[in-house]
Amino acid sequence: MTRGDDAERGPVAAAGAGIFTVDDEVGRDLAMVDWRATPLGPPSEWPQSLQTTVSILLSSRFSMWMAWGPELTFFCNAAYRRDTLGRKYPWALGRPAREVWAEIWDDIGPRIDAVLATGEATWDEALLLFLKRAGYPEETYHTFSYSPLRDDTGAVVGMLCVVSEVTDGVIGERRMATLRDLGSDPSVVRTEQEMLAFACRQLDRNPHDLPFTLTYLFDDHGRARLAGATGISAGHPSAPVTLPLGDPGGVWPAAALAQGKSVLMALDGTRFAGLPSGDWPEPPAQALVVPLLQQGGVPHGFLVAALNRYRPLDDGYRGFIELAAGHVAAGVASARSYQAQQRRAEELAELDRAKTVFFSNISHEFRTPLTLIMGPVQELRTALTDADEQVRQDLEVVHRNGLRLGKLVNTLLDFSRIEAGRMQARYEPVDLAAVTAELASVFRSAIDRAGLVFEVNCPPLAEPVYIDRGMWEKVVLNLLSNALKFTFEGSVGVTVRAEGAHAVVTVTDTGIGVPAEEVPRLFERFHRIESARSRSNEGSGIGLALVQELVGLHGGTITAGSVAGEGTTFTIRLPFGSGHLPAGSLVPPRAAEVVSATADPFVEEALRWLPGDGVAAEATAPAGVSTGAQPSASGEGAPARVLIADDNADMREYLVRLLKGAGYLVSAVSDGQQALDAIRADAPDLVVSDVMMPRLDGLALVAALRADPRTAGVPVLLLSARAGQEASIEGLEAGADDYLVKPFSAAELLARARANVELARMRGHHARWRNAMIDSLQEAFFVADENGAVIEINSAFTDILGYGPEGLPYIPRYPWWPDESDDPQAHAKVAEVFARLVGDGRGSAVVPVTHRDGHRLWIAATFNDVSDPDTGRRRVVGTMRDVTAERYLVQRESALAALSMRVSQADDLTDALCEALEALQGVWHARQVLAAVWNGDGPPDLVCVPEASGWQDLPERSREKLEALREQPPLRPVAPEAGGAGVTLEYPGGLLAVWIDLGQNRPFTGEDQTLLALLAGHLGQGLHRVHQLDQQREAAVALQRAILGPARLPSGFAVRYEPAGRPLEVGGDWYDIVPLAEERIGIVVGDCVGRGLEAAAVMGQLRSACRALLLQDAGPAQVFSALDRFAALVPGAKCTTVFCGVLDTATGDLVYSSAGHPPGILAHADGSVVLLEGGRSTPLAVRPGHPRPEARCTVPARSTLLLYTDGLVERRRRPLTAGIDQASAAVQAGRSTPIEDLAADVMADLAPDGGFNDDVALLLYRQPAPLELAFPAESRQLAPVRTALRDWLSRCQLTPKLIQNVLVAAGEACANAIEHGHRHAPGRTIRLRAVATAGSLHLTVADSGRWKPPQPEANLHRGRGVALMRALMHEVTIHPGAAGTIVDMHARITR
Amino acid sequence: MTTPLTLVVAERPDGTPVLAVSGEIDMSNAGALDDALTRSTGDGLLLVDLSAVDYLDSAGLTVLFSHSSRIRLVANPLLAPVLTISGLTEVTTVEGIASDGTATGSDDS
Repeated sequence: MTRGDDAERGPVAAAGAGIFTVDDEVGRDLAMVDWRATPLGPPSEWPQSLQTTVSILLSSRFSMWMAWGPELTFFCNAAYRRDTLGRKYPWALGRPAREVWAEIWDDIGPRIDAVLATGEATWDEALLLFLKRAGYPEETYHTFSYSPLRDDTGAVVGMLCVVSEVTDGVIGERRMATLRDLGSDPSVVRTEQEMLAFACRQLDRNPHDLPFTLTYLFDDHGRARLAGATGISAGHPSAPVTLPLGDPGGVWPAAALAQGKSVLMALDGTRFAGLPSGDWPEPPAQALVVPLLQQGGVPHGFLVAALNRYRPLDDGYRGFIELAAGHVAAGVASARSYQAQQRRAEELAELDRAKTVFFSNISHEFRTPLTLIMGPVQELRTALTDADEQVRQDLEVVHRNGLRLGKLVNTLLDFSRIEAGRMQARYEPVDLAAVTAELASVFRSAIDRAGLVFEVNCPPLAEPVYIDRGMWEKVVLNLLSNALKFTFEGSVGVTVRAEGAHAVVTVTDTGIGVPAEEVPRLFERFHRIESARSRSNEGSGIGLALVQELVGLHGGTITAGSVAGEGTTFTIRLPFGSGHLPAGSLVPPRAAEVVSATADPFVEEALRWLPGDGVAAEATAPAGVSTGAQPSASGEGAPARVLIADDNADMREYLVRLLKGAGYLVSAVSDGQQALDAIRADAPDLVVSDVMMPRLDGLALVAALRADPRTAGVPVLLLSARAGQEASIEGLEAGADDYLVKPFSAAELLARARANVELARMRGHHARWRNAMIDSLQEAFFVADENGAVIEINSAFTDILGYGPEGLPYIPRYPWWPDESDDPQAHAKVAEVFARLVGDGRGSAVVPVTHRDGHRLWIAATFNDVSDPDTGRRRVVGTMRDVTAERYLVQRESALAALSMRVSQADDLTDALCEALEALQGVWHARQVLAAVWNGDGPPDLVCVPEASGWQDLPERSREKLEALREQPPLRPVAPEAGGAGVTLEYPGGLLAVWIDLGQNRPFTGEDQTLLALLAGHLGQGLHRVHQLDQQREAAVALQRAILGPARLPSGFAVRYEPAGRPLEVGGDWYDIVPLAEERIGIVVGDCVGRGLEAAAVMGQLRSACRALLLQDAGPAQVFSALDRFAALVPGAKCTTVFCGVLDTATGDLVYSSAGHPPGILAHADGSVVLLEGGRSTPLAVRPGHPRPEARCTVPARSTLLLYTDGLVERRRRPLTAGIDQASAAVQAGRSTPIEDLAADVMADLAPDGGFNDDVALLLYRQPAPLELAFPAESRQLAPVRTALRDWLSRCQLTPKLIQNVLVAAGEACANAIEHGHRHAPGRTIRLRAVATAGSLHLTVADSGRWKPPQPEANLHRGRGVALMRALMHEVTIHPGAAGTIVDMHARITR
Repeated sequence: MTTPLTLVVAERPDGTPVLAVSGEIDMSNAGALDDALTRSTGDGLLLVDLSAVDYLDSAGLTVLFSHSSRIRLVANPLLAPVLTISGLTEVTTVEGIASDGTATGSDDS
């Protein structure tokens, strides 16, 4: 027991404990140590060196401890106690150092021994020491220096340790590195496995904070599966491969984690025996198990993080593990969603392919045999009119069912066309009532025959409706057929009427109806209502679905209303006009046509349902208007396809029959325009066209075909009634391949046709080869004409952009050109490249385009100018590649780089956030980016780019969006609607919500969300880092300011300090102003050797020691004698130069001494300058024990004293005296300048070009210090104020007359302030300030009231007072103001 | 603390009544001077001796102006500037200062 806290004696301060009074707390505890029990003995007997060292130790605010004497007895100061000693205080005081730091003696003992043996100081930076200051060995890092301490004889008897603990910095940096690595570009990681491997690699690199980790993921079987491990071998008992969720005895509490709870577990018991210890001597004792959270769902799994047993689990540690888990969870989520998307996309594509294949097969597999059935049947029916009745009936059956099958196949084909967007509708304006009534009439006989009433009510409509006749037929016939099928008594009705902007068509029946729950499914494809009574069990369940699709194509709607047992009503609404239809598919009205062949199968089928009726309607399928095929006569390869264009139906049928008979696949149209359309959609092997035709004649057709590169090669055989050479030449000149004049023989036609087809096939071989090659290109290929119109593309082009050959030519502006209003930048970019394409004809560029389905693509296009070898016309051919993914990758990387750079260059946290928001704004060209930080109950702090006012002034919608974001887990972007997106992240001190306002309903895509999540993650880390740096910087600045000098100066002084080593705020120079008893002030200016932090550390010690000595009333000589001894003990303090003086401000008497310091400069009021060159001796610690001289002088009234360090005056290649002269001149010139301004002027005058290159300290004083009085506004205060002012004025050494003048003027100003300013509030404060310079006096009287301008009539003597002031002073200014009135008065002092 | 002011009524050897003032005169005690001047009655001009006054401001001047028709003053050089600047020397006789004794704040020669 070394401390004197014996109960009997009570705490008794040891004798001679006066040296401990420097510090309250530690000093008190040191005083209570029983020093007699230590080898040092009672403090009263301590050598001077020990006493001095202890008092320096206690007065320093640097963390320090020291050891002295044979047992190295332990001392420390308050900073050390706070930062390092922990629970060992006060036990450690007075104990042998070996005992105090037993646990690290192996580390520090040898260092101390070395210091004692050699007398040389040690230096260690961030040394790892396991301190037991908190009851357990703790991982701590220290930067410290041991320096020798010497006794009065100069022998080394102890050591001093100056230390700063850097534990937080070292550990924080280590954790940050792990988080940074975890967050580093996961964009290349695709699968969950890759992601986990990546994360494990990063976690494994930090075995200090994570001795071992286990990552478990929940699977679908109620188990957690080990997915990754670091620092621990796979077979370890505490790392089971699976963990059942329901098993309470599992190694890890999987069930609790599945509910999202974190669990802190002690790692004891046998199952945790033999755990790996990471980088530590002992295995971990605890593990924190945290869930891998998933937004809106059960966690993905959990992360077991074994804890470093040498660190407490504080908020920082817990936060680190949760952040690490957050990264793993985000990675798992991202990998899973990526895989799911990938899978969905593949499934959809597969489904689509299967469907397309299926319907294409139907087309070939059904239609071809059907045709081959129907053709011969038709012929048999004709041939066997006289045959046996049974045979004829069988034939009818075959015929009718053939029609039915054909109808079904056609319906299915319609569907596949609609789905592929290939339904070529041609909408023409019609009188819907008339057309519908005509269609209905087809069914009249069947309905009559069924014994039902048929009510058709179709009055003409005022406006036309645009319909595709073919489609509309199918709509009406399907509905009527349906009505008849399910109606056994009552009626079937058809009505047409106008209702607002729509034509409304209803088909009503009184049939069996449908149950209410089935109504919504009526239009479902292949859905059949079970057990419904009907006239037939036949039916595919596809008719109504087709009706709905067809009505939809017309921009209309169809609804069904039905009551079981009462009947059904279908209601169709079609809009009037054509605005809702694609403009390209409108055609002018045609002559009314009779109901087409489509109706036959419907009616035939319906009639077959009716009982006892075998009579079929007349079958009139006209062979001429449908495609057909017969075995090719020639038998070589695929049959050639021929298109016939003739407006004469007889001629058309004749040609069809003729060519079909020869084995061609024939189709026919009735004019040139139809022919052109048909050829462009699907070019035949030969076109046989009449010359004279409506709309587009044969010659124009040929010209149009030849003008289009896709059809330029289609052979055309023209037929004309016009004979003669010219006509034939005209036709051939137009580009026709052959010319035949009517009448022609069948053989002639067939011969010409055959010759042309074969010729064209030979010719086309080259072209086909070229086309096949272009089509096989992986890159999109296009050809544009001289105006930029795209006239040829390949299939990759369609794959990339969604636009196929059916839309050719694509005229600028192309449909994939981004919309100008939606995205003006993209629009302009494409316009610029397009201009090059048309202008230069060559180049390459990356441009944004819009896919046919609306999504944004980036393509790299390269194009070149060529000349068409046939026509000589200019063409541009180009290729394009989809670089969207690459572009987003680059964009992501550059956005990350920009963000990181801006955040890292920020000065503080708010600045960093602003920079980050600007970066986000830049990435998305956002209209506005808002960030709100909630760190309490009040409204959040708002940061906004571009800048805006506070939270309360935000629009309600923006506030709601930010509020809603608060519910989101961090780092999960939310884009609830187009036009913006938000994300939250952890922010030092609260939650940060960021909202990116895109404006204009711009979409925020999945890519954007990924990018935002990534940026937010990095931002969170960046802000965290900036926050840490902020704190470190603040601490450093506070520490520096603490050792620099007094923050508040007594009046009359001005100082400047300019350290050479930026960004440090301190250097080796210093100034100090120490108020002493009575009116004395100690003034010190000093200069340690060197600069930067090391010099600053020495400076801080010397400054404190010097200040302490002055406060003990030592004179300058005494101060220096003591400092000589002290400086000898402080490494680096030797050779410091100091000027130290004690000034009596009442008399101006100055006692001073100079330790090798440049002389002070004293500029008298009369302009003479004196250097304070007395009291000079050597710098500190050069000749210890040598007596120090002192000198005396007087600082006369209104003179200016300048003290400085040599940095102000010393220049290369110039004697020091030249600099001193320059400084003298500056002070002399400024002797009438206010003291603060003079300080600035001197610094500016003496600064060399490029600034000072050494530390500069400067101190200015002008005698006497300004007078400052504050007194209540009462008239009885006037006399004492006058006395004080008179006294101060006499110190200024002025003539009695000037003194009297100033007294009266000031008295008048004060009287005014009392009388007027405070008439209604007596007793409030009036302030008077008086400042003297060499040549002038300046007085200010300020009150807090309002002066009235003098009104001589009303108040004679008030006017007299102001007049007196003006007459007695050189210049008087009265500044009335809301806060009070200020009177400024100047008087010049002349001699 | 009220401004120190002493007011003594005496007679000169020739029998002339004299109000001898010493101390400082400001707004806190100008009323006392006014009372003393009002109380002193007699024929002819009252002699007010200000030679022992070392401060006089506009409050004191105003009192002296109000009695200027029946007083004459004896002053000291220290008071010369205020008496001259205020114009009191033009409405009453002042002894003890130079008749042209003007003074301004900028001139302390």
